[in-house]
Order: sequence, then structure tokens, then C-alpha cells
Amino acid sequence: MACMNEDGQWIVLMGLLAALGLFFLALIINQSALVGQTTAEGVLEFPKNDIRDLRSEIFDYYDDYGPLQTLGYLDDVEEDIVRISLERKNAVVYFWDGPPQDVSGRLLRPVTIHYYNGVTEYDETVYY
Amino acid sequence: MVNDAGQLYTMEGVAAGVIMLLTVYIVISTTSIYTPGDTHIPDMQLEQLGSDVLAMMDTPDTNGTKSALETFVNADDDAGFESMFLSYCNAKASGAADDLHMSANVTYRDGNLIKEHQFLAPDNTWTGRESAVRVTRWVQLDSQPGRTTYAGARAQAVLVEVLLWRA
Repeated sequence: MACMNEDGQWIVLMGLLAALGLFFLALIINQSALVGQTTAEGVLEFPKNDIRDLRSEIFDYYDDYGPLQTLGYLDDVEEDIVRISLERKNAVVYFWDGPPQDVSGRLLRPVTIHYYNGVTEYDETVYY
Repeated sequence: MVNDAGQLYTMEGVAAGVIMLLTVYIVISTTSIYTPGDTHIPDMQLEQLGSDVLAMMDTPDTNGTKSALETFVNADDDAGFESMFLSYCNAKASGAADDLHMSANVTYRDGNLIKEHQFLAPDNTWTGRESAVRVTRWVQLDSQPGRTTYAGARAQAVLVEVLLWRA
């Protein structure tokens, strides 16, 4: 190591730290696209809107329960929902109701909803 | 005789080696380059926007009345449906309106068959290569004697499917 000048070692060391800092910042930018992708794919894959829409359609069905029963269309509309869900949404859907019960002074019907699209399964019993 | 001169040069050499190794690792492990289009973020935003527009259209103004969506579908009114849908989804808080386009189908059950009715044909921006998203909404139609579209006069549940893309 003869004739080598050892001045400025702190400057060299700080230069190294700055380089490492920049390296980690670049790593964070590099990962950001991947983070956005996994989030977006998670949102796209989870059928939140499908399930909400199915629930509101089933509630529409029970809103119209009386007229549909009078005209004899209850089974038809139920079959529409079940078969179109399978054909167009790739989802196994089934729903049924029990006899109306007294819930806090109101006569409500327990409605059980089943939804399964191969990835997400959803079951609930709601008094409607 | 071992002396301790030049320690910093050794450290520097080690640090340079580590940085080069990391660079080579990153270069080799980067087999593809991500662009925003690959990441499905715009698809997610478009799908949520379309679902929200359909939910708005399916909300009646007052309790007991029919929603705009149900009215359009029941009357097979494609022009009214298109104009309301596009005005909702192209609306922006400021600046020029957005440039989204759409087509729509209605799926219904006729006996043992699931059939599709083309509610609204795509406009001339459609080339088949768009990255379109599909949003859907259930609509329940009351029984209406004399109706010839969909499964006829009986009460029925139909699925409105909208294809939405940015031209």
C-alpha cells in the first residue's frame, strides 16, 4: 500500500451511504407497480358487486312475493336467477325462505342465500 | 509482517462487489417490464365505475316507483339507456367529459334455453381489440301482457350485461 493517499475517507464512506440510500429508493419504485397489480387483481377477483347485486335482486323478488305468488310466477323468477347465474356468471346460486317469524314486533321471513363461483363462497340468512 | 494499512480500500472493494452482485441479481430477475396497462389498475377502476353507474340507474327516485334501468329494459329503449349511462360514466368534476363507450346485452331464460338479446350494439369505436370490462346488473320485470321481448309476458328476472371500454 505504498504511496496510496488515505485522505478523504469520510467522503468515500458517505458516498457509499448515499449510493445505498438511492439503491433502496429505486427498489421501492421498482416494487410499486407490483403492489398496485396485486391489489387491483384482488379487487377484480372478489365478486363484491356480484354478491351485492344478487342480494338486491333477491330482495326485489321478496318485495314482489305476493303478486308473483298470485300470478304463479314465483318458481319462474327463481329459476331465472339460478340458471342465468350459472350460465353467465359461473356462479352456483340458490336461495330459499322459511315461514315468517316475529322479529322485534315485525313479521319477517328468514331468507337464506347461497353463492359460490368456484373461488368465493358466500352464505347468509337474512330476515326480510 | 502484517500491517493494517489500506483497510478502507478493502472495505470499498467489498462494498463495490456487493453492489455489483445486487445489480446483476436485479437485472437477471427482471424478466418482464411492468407498465400500468399490465397491472389491471385501469380495469379495476373501470369495472367499479360501471357497477356504480348501473347501481345509480337501478335506484328509483321514490319508494314504490320503477327505476330508470327497469323502465329502459322493459321498454327495450336502447337510446334512453345509452344516453343516461354514458352521461353518468363520462361525467367529470371539471374539464372535458371522459371518452368511455359501451354496448349492452340482456340475458333471459326462455324455457330451458338461456338467450341473449342485443340491447345496444357497439358504436364504431369498437374494433374487438379494446381492453373492455363487463359489468352486470339484475333487473326484475313485472308481468306485462303483450310484451314480446325477452321471455314474453311473464314476470322474469333478466341480467343486463354492459361492456365498457375507453376509446
